Amino acid sequence: MIRLADITIKQGDFELSGIELELSSGEYGVLMGRSGCGKTTLLEAICGLRKIDQGKIILGDRDVTNLPPAERGVGYVPQDRALFPTQPVREQLAFALVLRSLGQSEISRRVEELADLLGLGELLDRLPDKLSGGEAQRVALGRALAHKPSVLCLDEPLSALDEELHDEMCQLLEHVNGQTGVTVLHITHSPSEAKRLAGCHYHLVDGKVHHDV
Amino acid sequence: MNDKESGVFRVASDKPFLIGFGILGGSYLLIIVSMVLADLFFLNYVDQPVLGNEMVRQGRHIESGVIVPTEKGRSYFFRAGKNEIGLRQVDGSLLGTGLFTADSSEVVLISSEEGKPVTASLRPEVRLKNFAITNNVATLTTDEPHGLLWGEFISVSSSDVVGWDGIREITETTTDQLSFKLDEGASLAGSLRLSKPNPLVQALRSRDIRFSIKLSLISCTLTTLFSLWVAVPIGYVMSRFQFRGKAVIDTLLDIPIVLPPLVVGLSLLILFRYMPDWLSDAVVYKWPAVVLAQFMVACAFAVRTMRVTFDQIPQRFEQVALTLGCNRNKAFWRVIMPQAKGGLLAAGTLAWARALGEFGPILVFAGATRQKTEVLPTSAFLELQAGRTEGMLAVSLIMIAAAVVVFIVARTLGMKRIFA
Repeated sequence: MIRLADITIKQGDFELSGIELELSSGEYGVLMGRSGCGKTTLLEAICGLRKIDQGKIILGDRDVTNLPPAERGVGYVPQDRALFPTQPVREQLAFALVLRSLGQSEISRRVEELADLLGLGELLDRLPDKLSGGEAQRVALGRALAHKPSVLCLDEPLSALDEELHDEMCQLLEHVNGQTGVTVLHITHSPSEAKRLAGCHYHLVDGKVHHDV
Repeated sequence: MNDKESGVFRVASDKPFLIGFGILGGSYLLIIVSMVLADLFFLNYVDQPVLGNEMVRQGRHIESGVIVPTEKGRSYFFRAGKNEIGLRQVDGSLLGTGLFTADSSEVVLISSEEGKPVTASLRPEVRLKNFAITNNVATLTTDEPHGLLWGEFISVSSSDVVGWDGIREITETTTDQLSFKLDEGASLAGSLRLSKPNPLVQALRSRDIRFSIKLSLISCTLTTLFSLWVAVPIGYVMSRFQFRGKAVIDTLLDIPIVLPPLVVGLSLLILFRYMPDWLSDAVVYKWPAVVLAQFMVACAFAVRTMRVTFDQIPQRFEQVALTLGCNRNKAFWRVIMPQAKGGLLAAGTLAWARALGEFGPILVFAGATRQKTEVLPTSAFLELQAGRTEGMLAVSLIMIAAAVVVFIVARTLGMKRIFA
């Protein structure tokens, strides 16, 4: 689960304050808002990449407010995906596992599993610059899921894909959510995209989060 | 009805713009290429004859032609000056510059215009009068002053005996005598030919220049390693972190780039007056001073390059790595450095090339002692001071070659990374 309690983030003139948000375990949350309203900032705060001035962040059953990003158990897919340009897909998927010093066989088993889940079987030995937009998105997703995080943060995962891929990707995201039971927070600026996705909808307007019922 | 009235919009041709840019850029490229080519062409790659004293007297050209007495059957080297076309003897005439054999007791200079000063040069090729061997050292006596100095090299060839052929270092000279060591068991030679090896061979054989090549290669490599070692952390911190006083540090880092190089050397020299004796004794006017002087300037360039490199790598990569389980250290080594390889190579090449060319600070801070603190630019300077333009050019060529090799290696490694 994700619970944000009374979060305040100040950054120059920009301010988010009194943010409250709650998603229960395994839920698919969609956070909407216009470009520049602070969605990404909030997502970065959850991942521990941005300092918050006040409030509490609870992921799963832990208060992670003061933990470094590595210990929060989140999977993060940024808008530009940020696949490591020097590593083939296999290494990207194994990245988090190698850091956790898992055995070689354990790692390859998990990589196969992810490749199956996301349909990456053919791509394992490719470098990121040889991937299409949709493929890159799936790899980024796989990399973020490798260490079995309790929370998956997606920053506009569909915005760089063409219209035809939208549906396919939406289904995949819901499939991943259902299969792994990961709590997902998906942010988007597009109301039509939000409409297509099931789950719990939030709106970020003027520095406040509203729950759409 | 003209175009304006008809409403057709026309745009001027792109040609003047492109041609203009082409000419500006092209002329710079042309200068670069011709500069290097001039060096390559100026240098004489063939062995030169050993020549005696100048025989043309100072004076002006007269109507009947200036006469220079010669010895029949002897070889002479003639170089026409700006007021001569060539020379004439019984057999015919020689235009321009070259070696010839005199066929009578005089030659006449052909002037381009009467009344102009004589600028030509005519020198006899030195002949051997006799030679002796003691303890494998040959002592040759020449019939004319040979003008060779101690430590220079001479190319000896003989058709009929062993142990003489090769390039020999001159161990002793007087005006008309010179000595050099022979191979074990050399016998008295029947006929010998002497010539001066070309400047490149002279330079590569010279002990001083060999030392300076070695010192240059070692010091530049050390400088490059130190520079990268310092430039990577500074470049990373300056690229990723915001802190108070960053602008000041940024300016400080540029000081070695904008400061006149000589001043860098002078400042180092003064700084080491305040250092403990053991430290300044170990550094000043010794080889560590060479490395330090090179480092001070080269490192600033490496820092610039590394900073730009890190600036071009988005922070997102580290952020993702952090969420995947890295701390900053691991994120840096696993995600950022592999991407910074090209920049690292560029910074290293730049630092190496800068260090190779560094001269002013080294002269001030390390001195120009032969076989001690002499690096290639110092050699070029010392050669020039000794009036040996050819020697200086030879040293320049060695530097060009070293720089080209390093660039090719860096480029190839860089390419490999891209095409891997």
